[in-house]
Amino acid sequence: MLNVSRLKRTFNHDTAGFQDINLSVKEGEIIGVLGTSGCGKSTLLRVLSGLDQQYEGTISIENGSNNQIGMMFQEPRLLPWLSVKKNISFGLEKEERNTEKYKTYLDLVGLTGFENHYPKDLSGGMAQRTAIARALITEPEILLLDEPFSALDAFTKMQLQDLLLSIWQKKKTTMILITHDIDEALYLCDRIFVLKGQPGEVYSEVSIEKQRPRTRGDGYLSKQKAHILHLLNVEKKAAGEHQ
Amino acid sequence: MISETHKWKVAQRASPQKLSTSKGIFQLGRGILIGSILPIILLIAWEIAARTGLLAAHLLPAPTIILEKIISMYQDGSLFGHISVTLTRVFLGFAIGTGAAVVIGAIVGYAKTAERLLDPLFQAIRSIPSLAWVPLFILWMGIGEPSKISLIAVGVFFPVYLNIVAGIQGVDRKLIEVGRIYHLTPYQLTKRIILPAALPSFITGMRSGLGLGWMFVVAAELMGASEGLGYLLVVGQNTYSPDTVIASILLFAVLGKITDAVLKWVEHRSLKWQDSMTNQG
Ligand SMILES: Nc1ncnc2c1ncn2[C@@H]1O[C@H](COP(=O)(O)OP(=O)(O)OP(=O)(O)O)[C@@H](O)[C@H]1O
Ligand SMILES: [Mg+2]
Repeated sequence: MLNVSRLKRTFNHDTAGFQDINLSVKEGEIIGVLGTSGCGKSTLLRVLSGLDQQYEGTISIENGSNNQIGMMFQEPRLLPWLSVKKNISFGLEKEERNTEKYKTYLDLVGLTGFENHYPKDLSGGMAQRTAIARALITEPEILLLDEPFSALDAFTKMQLQDLLLSIWQKKKTTMILITHDIDEALYLCDRIFVLKGQPGEVYSEVSIEKQRPRTRGDGYLSKQKAHILHLLNVEKKAAGEHQ
Repeated sequence: MISETHKWKVAQRASPQKLSTSKGIFQLGRGILIGSILPIILLIAWEIAARTGLLAAHLLPAPTIILEKIISMYQDGSLFGHISVTLTRVFLGFAIGTGAAVVIGAIVGYAKTAERLLDPLFQAIRSIPSLAWVPLFILWMGIGEPSKISLIAVGVFFPVYLNIVAGIQGVDRKLIEVGRIYHLTPYQLTKRIILPAALPSFITGMRSGLGLGWMFVVAAELMGASEGLGYLLVVGQNTYSPDTVIASILLFAVLGKITDAVLKWVEHRSLKWQDSMTNQG
């Protein structure tokens, strides 16, 4: 579905960004990306989404038309002059924009009753949920998610993770999910890439061989979590040794 | 005990929100009341001073005399004529100036090459005090309506133009990226993201443009007109009747205030989404 080889995008004379990323994502796969702050995760999504064209290396998307990539940014990026419902409908074609289609997604993210609010009157988590609905409503084939649940409480977060899974079950959407939450990555992803460094590189790849739906915190996932924590920890130690 | 005081405090805090409408009107009324104390005292003092001869009546007639002047102009029908002529000039000049500013400002704000090409020129023209155009416009277009309206349009143009360019260039890149994710065409991007985002700054420009429009209509009518409030100023000066002059100044103030209030209302209506101090609650 999505093939990336020797992808590189750096800033400030190769001191920030990412480099040497090789990925091959199958259709319907959910890929997790973990990594310390500033290692180029958001930059990677910007490049994959086509917003940043100044990369080196190759990206190829199989049988991809233009409108197949959906993106949810790290910030909600709602349009302040549009109400919640118009923000959700923003990416739809003109004919669909004024229909009731937004309602389904409004309900799914638990914002029923807030459709006429303006973004200034939303809490951080509500704004983030609006942004999730906006990204989902166009039903893209590849969904790029940059820390989609970072502003949510544990309970809402779990609900929306399950929402994401139910959409995946229906549409087999290919997803790339950036997160700082190891449990979230373990619960959702087929493969997890751990990035490290400045510029970021793939430090390790962890496969989660377990059928979905998974049970949170089951034995296998716990073992994988310990493994990932170990990876991140080694990274820290290595950084310490350098100093 | 503590919890009760706490409750009371919470209730007290919550009340302004609940009563916002009635209280808002009350506060507005009180604001007008407080704000009008000083003018009323001054008016009364002025009236007394003029009646008792403390002020020379041929220089500064009493407020009631000015009011009578306005009423008599209303009765003989000339008031409406002067006001409508002046308003028409302001509106035409304002519309032309704003229209030109929107088109040119959008191009300059949007296209880098256009900015490099046009902006230095406009900055240079802007540094000419607009009243200096008066003789040239009269030479070019005579003393009739075109030169007056052009002068007003030039005055309106610059604040609107500058604000539009600033508004468009200040649009958050992050919001434009949202549009690019959905593959909006440049036209759609302009219509759905850039223009709404630049709207606050555009309205600010229109309001200051309108202020300048009123200033320039005075200049335009002073330089030669046979009707209009500015013409009344000239007539008053030439016939030594300060009541006419002050009446016309007063009418300018009232009309200027009303037109600005209309724009302010439009601003309030179309910028309800803005997260500003005035939009709270
Ligand atoms: N346009 C840019 N110009 C210069 N430097 C940039 C630019 N965009 C990103 N960077 C730098 O690239 C690095 C990676 O940024 P990025 O936003 O990808 O980090 P991240 O991994 O998403 O971090 P976080 O987890 O905190 O979101 C940062 O050091 C940032 O300063
Ligand atoms: Mg990021």
